[in-house]
Amino acid sequence: MPMYGDLGNKLVQHAKRTQNLTHLPPYQAELVRAVAREVRDLDKDVASLLDPFQGSFDPSTDQATACTLLVNHLSMRRNKRCLLAYHRTRTDKLEELVWNGYDVLDLSAQKTRGANSMTAGADGGTSSLSPQEEDYVRQYGDLLAAYKGQWTDIDLTGSLEPPRDLFIDVRVLKDAGEIQTEYGAINLTKNSQFYVRQGDVERLIAQGYLQKLG
Amino acid sequence: MSYYDIDSILTDAEKIPCTFQLDIPDLGYLDNNPGQALKSGTKIALPLWLAEMLAIANLGDDIDQDKSFVSFELPAAVGNDVVQALKADPRAVPLRDQSPHFYGLATHMMDLSEEQELGSVLRKTFVTRAAEIALHARKVGGTTGSKGGPAEEASNLGVGGAGEEFLRGLDEWERKLFRKAHDGSKAGKEWMDSVKKR
Repeated sequence: MPMYGDLGNKLVQHAKRTQNLTHLPPYQAELVRAVAREVRDLDKDVASLLDPFQGSFDPSTDQATACTLLVNHLSMRRNKRCLLAYHRTRTDKLEELVWNGYDVLDLSAQKTRGANSMTAGADGGTSSLSPQEEDYVRQYGDLLAAYKGQWTDIDLTGSLEPPRDLFIDVRVLKDAGEIQTEYGAINLTKNSQFYVRQGDVERLIAQGYLQKLG
Repeated sequence: MSYYDIDSILTDAEKIPCTFQLDIPDLGYLDNNPGQALKSGTKIALPLWLAEMLAIANLGDDIDQDKSFVSFELPAAVGNDVVQALKADPRAVPLRDQSPHFYGLATHMMDLSEEQELGSVLRKTFVTRAAEIALHARKVGGTTGSKGGPAEEASNLGVGGAGEEFLRGLDEWERKLFRKAHDGSKAGKEWMDSVKKR
């Protein structure tokens, strides 16, 4: 029996699954739209139910209508909660990814490219983030950068593990261009290997450009 | 139990058996009969988020006429059979089969109904099962560091079968407890190892 609130529940089940994943699954644009449509339909129903009463509805004289109104109202409220919780779960995850130093936008774009080559662009090049979420990530990233900028001598998102060695061996997984270090410039081309100071490349390791060896 | 809590929302989707107390022309779709009136006395399983408010909404100004839109019964998950089984041995009941959010559902029902016994049965159930959960959480994947040697490891493997059965029956809340206990003992062991290395 399909019922009001069922779609919202599906959305929350997606959120539940998202909580246990390390990455962010694709945004359920279709479901979100359907739930929002349901709310609009319910609102229309309520308006047409109340219309004949001209603003003088007395619940105790027409209990059947009162009950219908209550059911509609509760369904809308339920859908609202499902929608908010779904989006909140995702933004929580996005914030976590930003704090961990992942380039979220880059990652989701890459995944799309990978998926598209397999499914031959069935989804028409959509990212796993909604446009609003991409905006959110961008602005949250800016906010975090501004916050971190207050302390130049501490990297708030740096590793909490004290390094065992000052210098480490790294292998380059993706071309990352030229970086400047205290010991001069290094050109990071794919598959090359370097012995570098850990502090110089920590960021690049977190972003997946470099792999730590040994 | 925050507004945004996913498990709390899923708990509210659990259905309980309700009986409508009056005819409602527009709600036929709830009984799979869109377009038809919903007759008084119709029994429908409604999700908690709907049933709860319908059951406590009081009709009219008559205080002595204590009537609401629906009356409800205890769902089977916290029904007499389950309660009796829990009284016999809390560890033997796979709560997950009753409801993935067993405790959440049960506490909701305690708020709604005047079931006196349920609370104490639940408390005993949780305490007994929590001890068992803690025991399993320490064992899973943690045999290498134990001081007991090969004999204890062997016995751990022995309980593995029955333990799995028990762990599969945990409800969401208990699963969280299990994960926390497991991560805790694992982190503790890792720290001890890193201290020894230095």
